[in-house]
Amino acid sequence: MLGSASFAALSLKPQAHGATVSGALPWKAFSADPPEPVPEGQRLFFTEAEAELLSAIADRIVPADELSVSASEAGCVTFIDAQLMGSYGSASRLYMNGPFEKGLATQGYQGSQTPAERYRAGLAAIAAHVEAQTPGKAFAAWSADEQDALLKELEADKVTLPDGVDGQAFFELMLKNVMEGFFADPVYGGNRDMAGWKMVGFPGARYDYRPFVGQHNQPYPFDPMSIMGNADWVRKGG
Amino acid sequence: MRHGGLLRFAGWAVIGLFLAVSAPARADGLVQADVLYNGYYQSVLGDCSGCHTKAGGALLAGGDPIETPFGTIVPPNITPDVETGIGRWSLEDFRGAMHRGIGRGGKRLYPAMPYPYYALMPQRDVDALWTWLQTVPPVSNAVEANLLPFPFNEREAMAGWNEINFRPGPFQRDPDRSDQWNRGAYLVRGPGHCAACHSPKNVTGGDVADRYLQGALLQGWFAPEITGDAWRGLGGWSEEEIVAYLATGTSGRAVASGPMREVIEASTSKMKNDDLRAIATYLKSLAGSDGARPTPVAADNPRMVAGGAVYRDNCAACHGTDGDGARNLIPALAGSAAVQQEMTDTLARVVIEGVQGASSDKAPTAPAMPALGWRLSDAEVADVLTYIRNSWGNAAAEVEARSVEDVRAKLK
Ligand code: HEC
Ligand code: HEC
Ligand code: HEC
Repeated sequence: MLGSASFAALSLKPQAHGATVSGALPWKAFSADPPEPVPEGQRLFFTEAEAELLSAIADRIVPADELSVSASEAGCVTFIDAQLMGSYGSASRLYMNGPFEKGLATQGYQGSQTPAERYRAGLAAIAAHVEAQTPGKAFAAWSADEQDALLKELEADKVTLPDGVDGQAFFELMLKNVMEGFFADPVYGGNRDMAGWKMVGFPGARYDYRPFVGQHNQPYPFDPMSIMGNADWVRKGG
Repeated sequence: MRHGGLLRFAGWAVIGLFLAVSAPARADGLVQADVLYNGYYQSVLGDCSGCHTKAGGALLAGGDPIETPFGTIVPPNITPDVETGIGRWSLEDFRGAMHRGIGRGGKRLYPAMPYPYYALMPQRDVDALWTWLQTVPPVSNAVEANLLPFPFNEREAMAGWNEINFRPGPFQRDPDRSDQWNRGAYLVRGPGHCAACHSPKNVTGGDVADRYLQGALLQGWFAPEITGDAWRGLGGWSEEEIVAYLATGTSGRAVASGPMREVIEASTSKMKNDDLRAIATYLKSLAGSDGARPTPVAADNPRMVAGGAVYRDNCAACHGTDGDGARNLIPALAGSAAVQQEMTDTLARVVIEGVQGASSDKAPTAPAMPALGWRLSDAEVADVLTYIRNSWGNAAAEVEARSVEDVRAKLK
């Protein structure tokens, strides 16, 4: 039995979804559940202005330097945009009814807004705060030092944003999502050319290292690999 | 051509029933049991249920449609049902169908029913098979066998076909060979009808005699050469390995899939070990194509380089960096005749849609390979196939992306 009748009594819906399998395991031709690749530069959720502001913020979290390209160059904004259009953005897999109390630090965000709503409100609040500081000059036009100063203040909860937006919590959300975009499989729109994986030396979506188990203290010789492969798979010339 | 696992024991259950009903005449009963067992065993050798039983359907009550190059034909209901089966047939009618391809009322059968091979079966065995068929539960299921388009739907045309392709029996022993060899030759050429799939076909669909068992394409699968040829055939297999493959679907070298998997499940896995050994002896004695082995594609060829990377990242975990597989579970690609075949349709198909091996009583697991077509382009499939066909001592022609594209289009 897969699944178990004995657990049925505990579950809210008293149904056991069991199946008896004997002999050959079930199998179907073509069975695979591959993710749909996010096209480069796709934008479905953010407005132009929102995308520009988020790019500027993300590029201070992961700036272009000798280690890697910047977060936006690696597609992190495309990644977050796609996520916000999907089940992550609509919090479809989270409990989203009250009570809405300010949670403990260990509990994270406990409010009523979905991630998509939090981005819409959070980016608008930062843009309004910036406009009040330097009328006519957007965050993207600030110097790197000025940008860092504001982000540090947000992180330290020293800025009061308009419309009751919790600046510290929103900064943490962006920080988390930018890192996810930088290190998730490129199939989801970020980590372009596996920039994040190359930076930390992660070999990617591989699952067989047997030939290397005995080779201690030697670098792994191959480029990382995405769910959809890598450049090595493509014929060079010929 | 699909078989439900339950069918495996159905033949026996039927025999049991028959004996229970006809208990009184004891001495006769025993003789009768021998005849019935022999009849049942002939149905195993001829794989009747492989074609005449639908997946999950009643025993011999009509099979799944068979695609032939000439159109679709459906194996009919051959249970003793009077209206929709062969309940009205006489033994003479049945002998005519098995030995000459002429059914009740002079109806010419299409050779999709393998009578050109059954023609080699001795009358005694055909009669025993007939006796056993009478014990199969009658099932009412009307089947229209002939779905062929014009002109192939003309049964009379089969007279001409027989003229060209049909050599009537019986089987001729070769006195210079051992009994075991002769038994194998009889099983392969006769009831086992191996050439129906493994021999190349002429334009009329008949076997090409001088390329006997040298491999043929059918329904998107390639049935490889199974002669003793060292490169393309079974020359590298031991007799034990051939017996294991036919008995369980895996020899450690190859794992059967597609139509061969069905043949194994419904037929060869139920054959007696001595018969399988005889088949192995016979197959290995055949000279085969004796084709010149090509030079392998160079390892630094761009297709080999790209294909090697695809292999390393998609296949090596299962089939091994050295192509040696995992015994009885995952086939070795190194030294595999199937991998080095002339036709690459099966190979492309396996990579694109995945494949599951045979399940038999002796090896029920049925190992499977996942579909990889969703992540590999046609060029990547072509290159990885080129790579496995030309690594670890293998040597065979490169695979073109265009031929992979054709296979993919047909599968969808
Ligand atoms: C490869 C598939 C295949 C196998 C194996 C096979 N048959 Fe058939 N059989 C057919 C097809 C297809 C027809 C229909 C031919 C036609 O209508 O011309 C047929 C027709 C028949 C008929 C004629 C039925 C009728 O109503 O006209 C009989 C009898 C028969 N098969 C018996 C057998 C027996 C007994 C075996 C096993 C020894 C067997 N077949 C194995 C495919 C198969
Ligand atoms: C219905 C068509 C069909 C029939 C009948 C058939 N085969 Fe096969 N056979 C195939 C196909 C297709 C393959 C390739 C299987 C694969 O790719 O896994 C195969 C593979 C094999 C192999 C493995 C070859 C290799 O190099 O991997 C052997 C051995 C074999 N068959 C023997 C036989 C024998 C003996 C018979 C007769 C008793 C027989 N086959 C009848 C279709 C058939
Ligand atoms: C998860 C394990 C797994 C992976 C990954 C895998 N295979 Fe397989 N492969 C199998 C198994 C198990 C079979 C036997 C199934 C069968 O033949 O029915 C098989 C069968 C085959 C066959 C048929 C061999 C024969 O004798 O008929 C070929 C060719 C093949 N694989 C090539 C590949 C290639 C090329 C790749 C990578 C693109 C690959 N496989 C990836 C497990 C795997």
